[in-house]
Amino acid sequence: MKIAVCIKQTADTETVPGLDADGTRVLTDDITWIINPHDESALEVALRQVEEYGGSVTVLALGPQRVQKALREGLAMGADRAIHLRCERMPNDARVTARALKPILESEGFDLVLAGQVSVDNGGGQLPQRLGVLLGWPSVSAVEGLEVDGRKLTAQRPVEGGREQHELNLPAVIGINRRIGEPRYPSFRNIMKAKRKPVIAIEVTLEPSQLVCEQLRLPPQKTAGQIMTYGPGVADRVAHLIRSEAGIVW
Amino acid sequence: MIPRIVVLADTAAQVVRPVTREVCTAAQRIADAVDLPWGVIVPAASVTGLEDIPTVVRVDTLAEAVPDVRASALTEVCRECAYVMMAHTTGGGDLMARMAQHLDVPLAADCVGLTVEDQQVRFVRALYGGKVLSTVRITARPIMATFRPRSLPSLFVGENCAVTQTVSVELATPLSTVSQVAEAVRDRLDVTEADIVISGGRGMQGPEQWGVLEELAAAFGPRATLACSRPVSDNGWRPRNEHVGQTGRAISPDLYIACGISGAIQHVAGIARSRCIVAINKDPDAPIFKVADYGIVGDLFDVVPALTAAIRQLR
Ligand SMILES: Cc1cc2nc3c(=O)[nH]c(=O)nc-3n(C[C@H](O)[C@H](O)[C@H](O)COP(=O)(O)OP(=O)(O)OC[C@H]3O[C@@H](n4cnc5c(N)ncnc54)[C@H](O)[C@@H]3O)c2cc1C
Ligand SMILES: Nc1ncnc2c1ncn2[C@@H]1O[C@H](COP(=O)(O)O)[C@@H](O)[C@H]1O
Repeated sequence: MKIAVCIKQTADTETVPGLDADGTRVLTDDITWIINPHDESALEVALRQVEEYGGSVTVLALGPQRVQKALREGLAMGADRAIHLRCERMPNDARVTARALKPILESEGFDLVLAGQVSVDNGGGQLPQRLGVLLGWPSVSAVEGLEVDGRKLTAQRPVEGGREQHELNLPAVIGINRRIGEPRYPSFRNIMKAKRKPVIAIEVTLEPSQLVCEQLRLPPQKTAGQIMTYGPGVADRVAHLIRSEAGIVW
Repeated sequence: MIPRIVVLADTAAQVVRPVTREVCTAAQRIADAVDLPWGVIVPAASVTGLEDIPTVVRVDTLAEAVPDVRASALTEVCRECAYVMMAHTTGGGDLMARMAQHLDVPLAADCVGLTVEDQQVRFVRALYGGKVLSTVRITARPIMATFRPRSLPSLFVGENCAVTQTVSVELATPLSTVSQVAEAVRDRLDVTEADIVISGGRGMQGPEQWGVLEELAAAFGPRATLACSRPVSDNGWRPRNEHVGQTGRAISPDLYIACGISGAIQHVAGIARSRCIVAINKDPDAPIFKVADYGIVGDLFDVVPALTAAIRQLR
């Protein structure tokens, strides 16, 4: 099976981003870039599938030059090859990303495209569904359990108040949630091997986006709350504060 | 006629989920500003819970349709609309992303607010786990947006005034089959919709200890539910859909009570928009106290039962 894993390079979840003076740009100098956590688990799913049943795993990332580091990390985890769709900036509109990814996904003849459920820095969890529509393939996202039986996939996901099981045939697009399983750490041997694996770079021109970010701002800082040491009367006091000061009714 | 501003209802078992009314608030605000009619589209012939909403359009054929079929059918229904909006639930985010691609337009997904000024509608999105807020505008038509549950007040029109129309659509051949997997009896609200959320972390020490949190939730009554930190659901102590945080669900209840949770940045990302945060932790330096409105330093197995009694007293 020929599997593609779409990886987005995102800011580390520990990042506390700063903004430029006029609130148009996130300052990226101090950001530690990582593979989006959900995508890492998607890659883990792909690697296990290929280890057991054969095939190949291609990691695919769209973005500026910096995203090659994420691709190298993907190769070090065990992917066979990497494709970098190089463009000037990281798009903030999933429509633009999806349309830029479509041609390569089609021409490469993948059986299965895996992505993360959502990119944790600024995503809206749209790409897997959009790719499904663009390619005319079945898709399901937020998946926490996936079984492959020949050309048949069974995927499970939680929904509000329940759980769904989706059955679909390959080729398909699946959006993976991190809860499906923690990714492996690259072994030293694989890190060395990754240096010799190919990263194919293809220049792409992004379409203009019709989603315009007009302003960025930091949310109001929380002021310090009232912290008390437990003792007689403290629980009663907090209960009263919740009611009278915070105005919560029950 | 399909109203130019539509809210797609999120339904569960033929009942409209409460989040739909929050999106109605957005629709009404936009309708007032741009002077267009608005209405709600429900994906079935019989759905209850919208008796006071002035315009309701039932799409009678969609009740059983799988997501891809529903998306292409609703795309045709909404093609001429100016605004298409829905709640950002698992199903809502999914349906709207598919429709946006069919319509080849952007989608402002998982918005936490909107502003309406001089007939210009802008959406507010929370980036970097809520550490940055971004205001976006859409220049394509229809304008599509999904809203994070509990980000907007609910709209109640308050009279029985619904004018209902029914439309039929042709359904495409499904690309997948979907079945519901039976889960433990659902006797509680989903974490995203509850007013009050009682949450447990690794400090709870094990699943058999959850009784104290269930009692606290019960003291608050039916508007409260349970949540947990990631290691708790990873360990299988609690169901996975209770996990909140940057890789779990993002919630904004009126009251969030964190018990035995350290307050890692990835956890806080999912709960920081709660109106009031109470933290119970035995470590006075736990980072959760930095975001708490009220904190109690102590052993949760002493504090939680005492708080439960105090909350019950005030009922
Ligand atoms: C990429 C990534 C994504 C992540 N996403 C999420 C996410 O979505 N959600 C999430 O929650 N985490 C997430 N995490 C994990 C996160 O970093 C923390 O590890 C996790 O939140 C810690 O959970 P905890 O607070 O329950 O446990 P701990 O950090 O172990 O904290 C337990 C706390 O309980 C207190 N305690 C112990 N016993 C008692 C007692 N008897 N009485 C009172 N207090 C007591 C301790 O003082 C301690 O503060 C993510 C991590 C990464 C790297
Ligand atoms: N620039 C990108 N390059 C490759 N994959 C991406 C990119 N952006 C998003 N994705 C994939 O799409 C998933 C969902 O992203 P989003 O729709 O941005 O929330 C991510 O988890 C990635 O797997």
